[in-house]
Amino acid sequence: MKINSAVKLGTVATFAAVLLAACGSSSSSSSEASKQTLNWMENSALPSMDLSTSTDVVSGETENNTNEGLLRFGKNSKTLPGVAKSYTKSKDGKTYTFNLRKSNWSNGDKVTAKDFVYAWQRTVNPKTASQYSYMYAQVKNANAIIAKKKPVSSLGVKAVGNYKLVVTLTQATSYFPALVASPMFFPQNQSVVQKYGKKYATNAASNVYNGPFKLTYWTGTSDNWTLSKNTKYWNAKNVKLKKINFKTMKDPQTSLSQYQSGKLDATYLSGQQPKNYKNSKQYVERKSASTFYIELNEKKDSMMKNKKARQALSLAINRNQFVNKVLADGSTAAKGLVSTGLASKNGKDFNTAAAVPSATTQDLTKAKKLWKQALKETGRKSYSLTLMADDTPAGKNSAEFIQSQWAKLDGLKVTNSNLPFKTRLARSQDGQFDAVISAWGADFPDPISFLSLFTSGNSYNNGKWASKSYDKYVKAASGKDANNADARWSDMVNAQKTILNDQGIIPVYQQGKAQLVKSNVKGLIYFPTGANWDFSSAYISK
Amino acid sequence: MADTVKLPEDSFKPISADDRTALDSEKIAAPSLTFAQDAWRRLRKNKGAWISLIVLAIVFIMAFGSIFVSPHDPNAVNPSYANLPSKIPGIGINGFNGTLVQAGQRVDAYKQAGASNLHYIMGTDYLGRDLFSRVLYGTRISLIIALVATLFDLTIGVTYGMFSGWKGGRIDTIMQRIIEIILSIPNLVVIVLLILILKPGMTSIIIAIALTSWTNMARLVRAQTMELKEQEFILAARTLGERPMQIAFKHLLPNLSSVIIINTMFTIPNAIFFEATLSYIGIGISSPQASLGTLLNDGQKNFQFLPYQMWWPALVLSIIMLAFNLLGDGLRDAFDPRTKE
Amino acid sequence: MAKYLAKRIFYLVLTLFIVITVTFFLMKLLPGTPLTNQAKLSKSQIALIYEQYGLNKPVWQQYLLYLAGAVRGNFGTSFQFSDQPVSYLLSSRIGPSLQIGLQAMIFGVIIGIIVGSFGAMKQNTWVDTSATFVSILGISIPSFVLAVLLQYYLGLKLGWFPIAEWGGFIYTVLPTLALGATPLAESARFVRTEMVDVLSSDYIELAKAKGLSRTGVIYHHALRNSLIPLITIVGPLAVNIMTGSMVVENIFSIPGIGEQFVKSVLTNDYPTIMGLTIIYSFMLCVVLLFTDILYGIVDPRIRITGKAN
Repeated sequence: MKINSAVKLGTVATFAAVLLAACGSSSSSSSEASKQTLNWMENSALPSMDLSTSTDVVSGETENNTNEGLLRFGKNSKTLPGVAKSYTKSKDGKTYTFNLRKSNWSNGDKVTAKDFVYAWQRTVNPKTASQYSYMYAQVKNANAIIAKKKPVSSLGVKAVGNYKLVVTLTQATSYFPALVASPMFFPQNQSVVQKYGKKYATNAASNVYNGPFKLTYWTGTSDNWTLSKNTKYWNAKNVKLKKINFKTMKDPQTSLSQYQSGKLDATYLSGQQPKNYKNSKQYVERKSASTFYIELNEKKDSMMKNKKARQALSLAINRNQFVNKVLADGSTAAKGLVSTGLASKNGKDFNTAAAVPSATTQDLTKAKKLWKQALKETGRKSYSLTLMADDTPAGKNSAEFIQSQWAKLDGLKVTNSNLPFKTRLARSQDGQFDAVISAWGADFPDPISFLSLFTSGNSYNNGKWASKSYDKYVKAASGKDANNADARWSDMVNAQKTILNDQGIIPVYQQGKAQLVKSNVKGLIYFPTGANWDFSSAYISK
Repeated sequence: MADTVKLPEDSFKPISADDRTALDSEKIAAPSLTFAQDAWRRLRKNKGAWISLIVLAIVFIMAFGSIFVSPHDPNAVNPSYANLPSKIPGIGINGFNGTLVQAGQRVDAYKQAGASNLHYIMGTDYLGRDLFSRVLYGTRISLIIALVATLFDLTIGVTYGMFSGWKGGRIDTIMQRIIEIILSIPNLVVIVLLILILKPGMTSIIIAIALTSWTNMARLVRAQTMELKEQEFILAARTLGERPMQIAFKHLLPNLSSVIIINTMFTIPNAIFFEATLSYIGIGISSPQASLGTLLNDGQKNFQFLPYQMWWPALVLSIIMLAFNLLGDGLRDAFDPRTKE
Repeated sequence: MAKYLAKRIFYLVLTLFIVITVTFFLMKLLPGTPLTNQAKLSKSQIALIYEQYGLNKPVWQQYLLYLAGAVRGNFGTSFQFSDQPVSYLLSSRIGPSLQIGLQAMIFGVIIGIIVGSFGAMKQNTWVDTSATFVSILGISIPSFVLAVLLQYYLGLKLGWFPIAEWGGFIYTVLPTLALGATPLAESARFVRTEMVDVLSSDYIELAKAKGLSRTGVIYHHALRNSLIPLITIVGPLAVNIMTGSMVVENIFSIPGIGEQFVKSVLTNDYPTIMGLTIIYSFMLCVVLLFTDILYGIVDPRIRITGKAN
């Protein structure tokens, strides 16, 4: 067992190195090296580089390329060795031991196990007020520390010498390797953090990096920032890009124009743009691990508590028409609560195993019939509801479309209400809604990231749908079956089947991102959760 | 200039008694006109203003008539007919014949969608809704917003400004500080709060406009009143013992009319754009309602590929603006007592 | 005059104080939290983090703490750009907004005055009609539509100007034009209307009769006397434009504060809302003060002391 995982990692590492070396050997002339600059766009500015407190995607993406954790994400969210050469897991799955390689920070300091202990303790320290500290819940004592009940030093992470890190968990957590590959588990250099104090990580200079690149331009509030190759990185010889210029483009028309005029090497498409580039060779669709679904407020009245009514509302929606004709940006019809492509077992995707077609497809005749029955059962002639959604273009599109679909049910009147994001959240949490289009993006590549939302009494369960068997399955998956991969898998499959069979939520679509990428940009690594991009093996060919 | 022209002797002759009775210097030959009659007469003489009035009447009838009669339901969704360009039967010019440029080639979008026998005169939007019906609908919403804003401008704004400017002194100081405060509190905070208290949509937007839009008018009217009240005709009126209310309506208001009308001409587009900007930010009216602003905003996003989605609402908005402005000019000329014939 | 100024400055401080107070309590009524990760936090997690930021205290206590900090120049830390003091965030981003706004105002008002004066002098001729048309066009097209048109035709198709981003002066041309349309239109309309009035008044007839040159009459008498409404309008407009337009800044990717204004409200970024309100309110009050002083300079008939009759 112990040796097994270590060996596995080792092979992957050698394989990756060989692959990279093969790619690298083709471009070596100096003129081409100078061209190794990537011009990349983001939709919003880089707001923070503090690994403990940053929360948004742009920060995560940048940090993932300037820093490195114990492990790092490769294609399809596979974990590859990072600072840790290998790791072992105890039999009960509660203890992980990571063996670190000898590597350096960009200022020459050594990256040691103590840097991890310091970083992790800093993140869970209530004084840091990290908004992602809940990700540490599985680490021993983390919850008690966050709630100020135990000292920070009691966190279940210990450095044994400089190059060995031992982590103790409260319970077996099969996705723990994926967690340590996320930026909030990256190491931090204590002397640098303390040297800059409040100024730490507030601009390019007051920070230190241990990843493939280092941040060389960023004022802390600027719309542009630049990454340059980090020569101190342990795997620097396989990093091809010399420079990455990040530019904030808030308007999709502008970024497309900039792409067309050669100022950008890639751009995201939105609105009607993807339809016009569908046949282009530069067109790529990226799946993200986020699902959009409708929650129905079961606390409000008897109608939404009626299973037939909920099923009718789901059956009335033509999801394929919506994703293909209306969004047409690479989004796909949702096959379940969990996003497709997030997890698989023996090559079979989670949603194939846990599919309930009747809960995610259209059948208008059946919908009308069920709706009529539901009205009768609850003693109603007609029913009116307000559909709440975000006020973003996508939110408006979804609300408009779903309203038009629901209009086909007799005796149903739907009014739309598009609200600013934070207002929508506040109202959802307070139960001030009839139906709301919500979204969830997975924090780590495991179905439990979605499934844990809808246990009864969970504060994310806005519709207050409740099912004892669902609770039981989710509890088993993260408790007694946590260390038994097969049992855990079937627990999770059963959980999704339960919620879909009862139509506890109405899954609508899985978000996709359409992108244009210049054909000479090669080796980009995309993964659907968290930081999304790894540029360490990207290069410009010619 | 020394004039040396000699006039013949019979150029002048003394006036007789008969002549004197015929020539009553006190008699007014033309029929006496009230202020309103006079203004109406002058307005009718202005061709541009007349045409504008007719255009506006047509726009109003079409926009409000579309409640009862509309070519299509503005909210009827039909995704298979999405993004069809304008097609007006009998017109073969590119841009009106149902073709558009796709990947460098001009194609018949109607044929592609299998809708060759249909025609949408302004095309359809991304959900396949008839753009013409939506423009009519949007025009109605925008006009309502504009008219409400104008109403508040004319009532609160003008009264507030005249009172403040006329009274002067401490009252003026306090009233101006209140305006400063209203201008200084970010509009957006107020609107998001209104959305919270009320519902997102027209009512919140109209109340937000009502709360904030009249300040410019009030400041303009005040400034102009301060200038006017020092002038002789006001002094004369006051000396003659006219009451302040009379002075305000009979003397101040007509002289303020040009500023009031011109500012109203800005209130209308500003209100429409205010709503448009809100929808750009995302807190405008809720879907599937539309205004000219939201239509422009949606069209702007697809301008590179589907230019007609922006041009049509832009055209309608420009026509409305042009008509309002030319009418405004006409009204100004008609109402301003200083205008010369 | 000095007494008047002192009084006005006292009022300015008072107004600022009221605005700060009202905005502070209003914004605390906004739903949601300032936390950037709100969607993923449960209520108990939010409560724990609130405690760290002191957001669990009663609102009046938070208000007093804010005032105490603001007086000492500490305006808090932004939530959007975590760890960045609001004062740094705003000072580092306000430059481009000010520059473009100022350029747009200068361009718009000068061209507007010229267009408006020509229109008035050649009243009811084709010059007048086209001047009217230009200015009406300026207010018929929202700035975001104009920005998109300029960017597409002059930027992408013709390649005369950069499409977006921030660099030298050349980068400011298109945004300036897009923002300048409104002040251009407004000043042209006001100048024309007022000038038509003034040109037909007796003192202009007198000036003409006295044999003053045409430009002399226009410049010394007509223009000066038609500026009152323009001054009234231009002040707040300038403040509005110079504190950044989110729409134009987003379209041209300008690193200004336009978006912060909107985003701070929509994301409950309390310290940033307050910082922006203070800047905006201060600029506005100063501009309004100048406007009142200018009234007296431009039109000697207005007595600045505003003495009751």
